[in-house]
Amino acid sequence: MKCGFCGHEFEESDGKQGCGGCSSGCHSIHCPRCNYKNPLEPKFLKKIKGLWQEKQKKQ
Amino acid sequence: MARCCGKTMEITLKDDHGIKRVALVGNPNVGKSVLFNALTGAYVTVSNYPGTSVEVSRGNAVIEGQAWQVIDTPGMYSIHTITEEERVAREILLNETPDVVVHVLDARNLERMLAMTIQLIEAELPVILVVNIMDEAERIGLKIDLDLLQERLGIPVIGAATARKRGLDEIRRAMRNYCCSDENPRRFNYSRLLEQDLTEVAGLMRADYVLSKRTLALLLLQQDEEISALVQHLEGEEGYAKVAEKVREIAFQRRESFHLNLSLERKEIVRKLIQGVFSSPEKRVITWSEKLSNLAVRPLTGIPLLFIILYFGLYKFVGVFGAGTVVDLLEGKLFEEIFNPWITGVVKGIVPWAVIQELFVGEYGIITLGIRYAVGIILPIVATFFIFFSFLEDTGYFPRLALLVDRVFKRFGMSGRAVIPMVLGFGCDTMATMVTRTLETVRERIIATLLLSLAIPCSAQIGVILALLSKAPGALAVWGVSMLLLFIVVGLLAARLLPGEAPMFYMELPPMRLPQLSNVFTKTYTRMQWYFLEILPLFVLASVLLWLGKITSFFEKMVDALTPVMALLGLPKETAVAFIFGFFRRDYGAAGLYDLQTKGLLNARQLTVAAVTLTLFIPCVAQFLIMKKERGWKVASAIGVFVSLIAFGSGYLLNQLLLTTGILS
Repeated sequence: MKCGFCGHEFEESDGKQGCGGCSSGCHSIHCPRCNYKNPLEPKFLKKIKGLWQEKQKKQ
Repeated sequence: MARCCGKTMEITLKDDHGIKRVALVGNPNVGKSVLFNALTGAYVTVSNYPGTSVEVSRGNAVIEGQAWQVIDTPGMYSIHTITEEERVAREILLNETPDVVVHVLDARNLERMLAMTIQLIEAELPVILVVNIMDEAERIGLKIDLDLLQERLGIPVIGAATARKRGLDEIRRAMRNYCCSDENPRRFNYSRLLEQDLTEVAGLMRADYVLSKRTLALLLLQQDEEISALVQHLEGEEGYAKVAEKVREIAFQRRESFHLNLSLERKEIVRKLIQGVFSSPEKRVITWSEKLSNLAVRPLTGIPLLFIILYFGLYKFVGVFGAGTVVDLLEGKLFEEIFNPWITGVVKGIVPWAVIQELFVGEYGIITLGIRYAVGIILPIVATFFIFFSFLEDTGYFPRLALLVDRVFKRFGMSGRAVIPMVLGFGCDTMATMVTRTLETVRERIIATLLLSLAIPCSAQIGVILALLSKAPGALAVWGVSMLLLFIVVGLLAARLLPGEAPMFYMELPPMRLPQLSNVFTKTYTRMQWYFLEILPLFVLASVLLWLGKITSFFEKMVDALTPVMALLGLPKETAVAFIFGFFRRDYGAAGLYDLQTKGLLNARQLTVAAVTLTLFIPCVAQFLIMKKERGWKVASAIGVFVSLIAFGSGYLLNQLLLTTGILS
């Protein structure tokens, strides 16, 4: 994913998550470079994007 | 011991298994991590560098039969370090004495980034230069003569596009053959005066160092504290005293212009170095994004641009459209005219007990107040705010805003980096308070926490206030000026009361671009989803507490207790309700203010005073708890008390001022 602040590209697993501040669970990933809080893409949107990309590849 | 690159150093056999070590260094965003992943594959460990919070990735690779440990160092701009990341990167070079240092730079910024290559070469480190992102450079018509550059630098130079796997084999080969290389690193001469200084300082050093004495002399003259400590440790007290005295003497003579002169000299060296090596198309087309980027960071154009963005984005879109048109439709029409009368009838038909009816559909009922506030008022405001926020974020404007305000923020004891929590504070102050932990110094964190709890309204609060005050001519201007004035005064005072240096701030600017609709949608959706999930249970809980307070008369007593304070502010006693709401959540309080205004209980002056006081009012419960978690009880309590006093004090003064001058009457 790409940081919305500094533009740094990083893997979701490289970002920091889960500082425990939100009562409804963590929905963000902090950029490992500038620490900006980036929203985490919901799973269903990821699935839709994945399906779309697969379709594009097949075509 | 072996001889390599003209310098005696310990090479190979760094551990029992004969594993060689390579460190990847360079500016952030030049493709170091891509190269690291390409070299190491899946065998990677990520850990904090000892004593720091900076993460360093290490991986293993076998290259042409030789085992290597690959270290991905944090981004650095110079051997003379400023940030913690740079310090860690240099520590790795100093303490882990890599067999090869691969300097990765961006071909499109060759001239700027070569200054660090020169520093690495003059430090006599075993450097290989990787000119990366060659594909993009070629696409925009840049031509780089890599052979000529190699000849001039005296080190292996490889052109690459690591994201496209171009140049990887050449890099591996260069690493494997490095110590067998006949390349001799060359020396880059500075002015006669500086050369003399360097010779004098370096000549006083007797110990063996990883970096060249010439580089150490330069770093000492730049007042590098870590290098001073290193030299003191290795030279002993007597030897160091001589070095320190000479450094002091030179530093005094060149006190006004040393850093500038050094920077200009390096620039000149690079300029000569790339003559004939680098050529760009004759007519360089300056794209619209570059033009806009330049406009955004220059104070003369950047500040008007910021006001234009705030006017159209915040005022027109969030305030007038979101908090005005959409809230009128949802709250005024859907809830007040259709949903609430219907649900009240349904609940009263099912539940015979008046007290339980009150819990769900009463004055502070879960449905008629909690759900109405959450869905009818807050949701459309945060939705429009997050659309605006995500749109702006996707254009790449925020880092430019950080640069624009850096100079002003320094006066408040913070750097431009503090723009991150400040900007996030307009979304939610609680989450922004957590982000202050990323600021470099404790002082900066405390000042940012204070300003967030005082003068940064959250998205829902700002939306409601913009919508309410825009209806009274001049009220919005009074509110805006009051907020700005307090932000500045408290910032300046805080910087004075908490003495210390504002940390240095600089960052690589990502390109500006047209925002992508899919990105804006995804980010808005995600932010709204967590915001809604976060607020809904709290709004329901607040309604239950208010209901409990009402049936036990505790709420009434609280309102009574606040009545004299409201009177001092020139506000009707009903306004106390909005303040009590505001302590649960800022947005809840703002929604309370919205209710009071629609009932016609406040005139323009009272509305403005209430809006100013409520914006400044003590942080909501969640923000206070996070403040306690991040800064400790003492600081959180002190900020809470200070902010309350400032809020009511400012409200009182503003009311007196408006009464005396007759503004807004």
